[in-house]
Amino acid sequence: MTDTLLDRSERMSAAAYLELLSNLTRREVKGRYSQSFFGFAWAVAQPLATMLVFAFVFGRMGQMGPAGVPYPLFAYAALVPWFFFSNSVSSGTMAIVTYRNIVTKTYFPREIIPLAQVGSRLLDLAAAAGLFALMLAWYRPHLGVWAATAPIFLLILFAFTVGLTLLTSATNVFYRDVGPVVTIALQLWLFLTPIAYPLANVPAKYRWFFALNPLTAVIEGTRASLVLNSAPDWGLTAIAAATSVALLAGAYALFKTLDRFFADVI
Amino acid sequence: MSTVIHLDRVSKRYRAGRSRTFTEMMTSNIGRLAGRRDDDQVFSLTLGARSATIWAVRDLDFEVPRGAGLGVIGPNGAGKTTLLKLISRVTWPTSGRVRVAGRVVSLIELGAGFHPELTGRENVYLGAGLFGLTRREIAAKFDAIVAFAGVERMIDAPMKRYSSGLYARLGFSVAVHSDPDIVLVDEVLAVGDAAFRRRAMDALRGFIDGGRTVLFISHDMWNVRRLCDRILWMDEGRVRAYGPSAEIAERYMSEVNLEALANERAALQSHRRGTGEIRFTAVRLFDAAGRAVQSIAAGGALTIAAEYAASQPVRAPLFQVSIVDVDTGFVVSTASSDPSAAPVVDGAGSVRVTFPALPLKPRHYVLRLAVFDRRRTVEYDYVSAGPRFVVTGGAGASDAGDEEDGFVSLPYEFDVCAVSRAI
Repeated sequence: MTDTLLDRSERMSAAAYLELLSNLTRREVKGRYSQSFFGFAWAVAQPLATMLVFAFVFGRMGQMGPAGVPYPLFAYAALVPWFFFSNSVSSGTMAIVTYRNIVTKTYFPREIIPLAQVGSRLLDLAAAAGLFALMLAWYRPHLGVWAATAPIFLLILFAFTVGLTLLTSATNVFYRDVGPVVTIALQLWLFLTPIAYPLANVPAKYRWFFALNPLTAVIEGTRASLVLNSAPDWGLTAIAAATSVALLAGAYALFKTLDRFFADVI
Repeated sequence: MSTVIHLDRVSKRYRAGRSRTFTEMMTSNIGRLAGRRDDDQVFSLTLGARSATIWAVRDLDFEVPRGAGLGVIGPNGAGKTTLLKLISRVTWPTSGRVRVAGRVVSLIELGAGFHPELTGRENVYLGAGLFGLTRREIAAKFDAIVAFAGVERMIDAPMKRYSSGLYARLGFSVAVHSDPDIVLVDEVLAVGDAAFRRRAMDALRGFIDGGRTVLFISHDMWNVRRLCDRILWMDEGRVRAYGPSAEIAERYMSEVNLEALANERAALQSHRRGTGEIRFTAVRLFDAAGRAVQSIAAGGALTIAAEYAASQPVRAPLFQVSIVDVDTGFVVSTASSDPSAAPVVDGAGSVRVTFPALPLKPRHYVLRLAVFDRRRTVEYDYVSAGPRFVVTGGAGASDAGDEEDGFVSLPYEFDVCAVSRAI
């Protein structure tokens, strides 16, 4: 047995890393839905209720949906990715502070904590997508080859969500101002993303601003793929993919720089 | 023997209190513009200039060999827990290097990773996962973990139904079964019952015997000396002494004793716990002639007089005064047995225990003082290492030396019968 003195802790095996991630994810999901009567059904309630209100306010009264597409399907296709994003970021921001008890007492790769938050919302996403499948069966829009592009948008959504969650969870440890900023930002973000309305309704001179938001490409792309069966806006998609990957890489690097100080300031 | 922990001039500085607020940042920038250059200060609008940082540990420089049992002792705030956090990578040094070989498991708090809504079974997987085990490894050890903790009956109940003792037992069990090379234990064995404490100590002993390394923080000198062959004595963030257990423990205890001579109050502050309704304030020893002493002759009379103060009226407290051997525990325990003597205690008072003839053998002893409620459910004050005293060889002391271990001299007759074997 040789003793190699290391400046870092021993690297966790990939299997142990995944095991811990899945256990913390399970802990999140169970903690959230245990001692509740409807349990996992809550994961569907949020996008469903929002869709109903949107259908009434924006679809019926505001006439905002595109012609020839059922508004509930149009809105729900956007709300499913939106709530995955918004719930991941809002609970992820607080995650490390919530886990302070573990962070100050044991060492393990810290990024697992926000990743588990995103992971638990991935299960919500799956449940909400199940309802989406039922709606597809009910409304029967024409599904064609473009449906195959859906995973691209899921990947961009995932990369962007993880990147932003890493960023906000790490910075929130140092300044709790991040929490309220995120809450307010997410409220405004919901309306500045083409969720209740199509991007086509946005006046051309403001489009560049929407293009900077990767969620625009994700939501427009998801609808194109699964509701409208049309080609996505590839330019928009490319910008979103590049932005998301850059954010993910930058946020990860920042996270790993800051995580040494978590236990000191938390 | 190879080194498994190496600290190279390690210092750790904490920012005092919270992060800088916007106002502090602005005022300190204004201060810098005005020519102040001291970065170690913050400028608060309400409090003025004050020191921004605290050195938790300073210039730690030592090595721990594989297979060592290292006791870490020192008063509260000496930097013991910070040392453990540095070794386990929970926190990083401000300067210097911490190098460690192998897998470290830190027991700073038992079951810190458990979630009360999950069952014991799920928490075993969660907790062991935090220590870096895979599902397969945990499954292989699952039965041993549960058996060691003795929670078979509760394993599929949510952890919120567990008592705090069971919670801690499962936490300890998961940690010791996670196959660590280095175990860091921070005063966590105080929970759990005596049987479990013994099993935990045996498990730690087993680690050391198996060539693992154990760092053991405790205020309980007895346990430290039972487990550890070396002691690191920390004081105000620095290493005060590092060496063989017997020697360092002796120095530490005599220092505590010196403090006791200088200031009885201060000595009573260390190594104590309790809820505080009653506090011991001073202890004195007297010989047969009523003189205050630090040593008595074997077989002589000893009076222990302790003063206390009650901050509120307490009904019929039970006082306990014990003589303790540092290495092995209780030697003699005495208690106030008649509740009618002090039906209600309030304000200052004293207790007095007299041994007309103390049959103790010559060596050092420590006083342990405690005061409980009548049912012994509430511990008002507990001084685990009070003043020390020495029993010296009295007149007519037996000269049997090493042949005669133990603490108590009793009159005896010892016959040896030589029986010749019939051939």
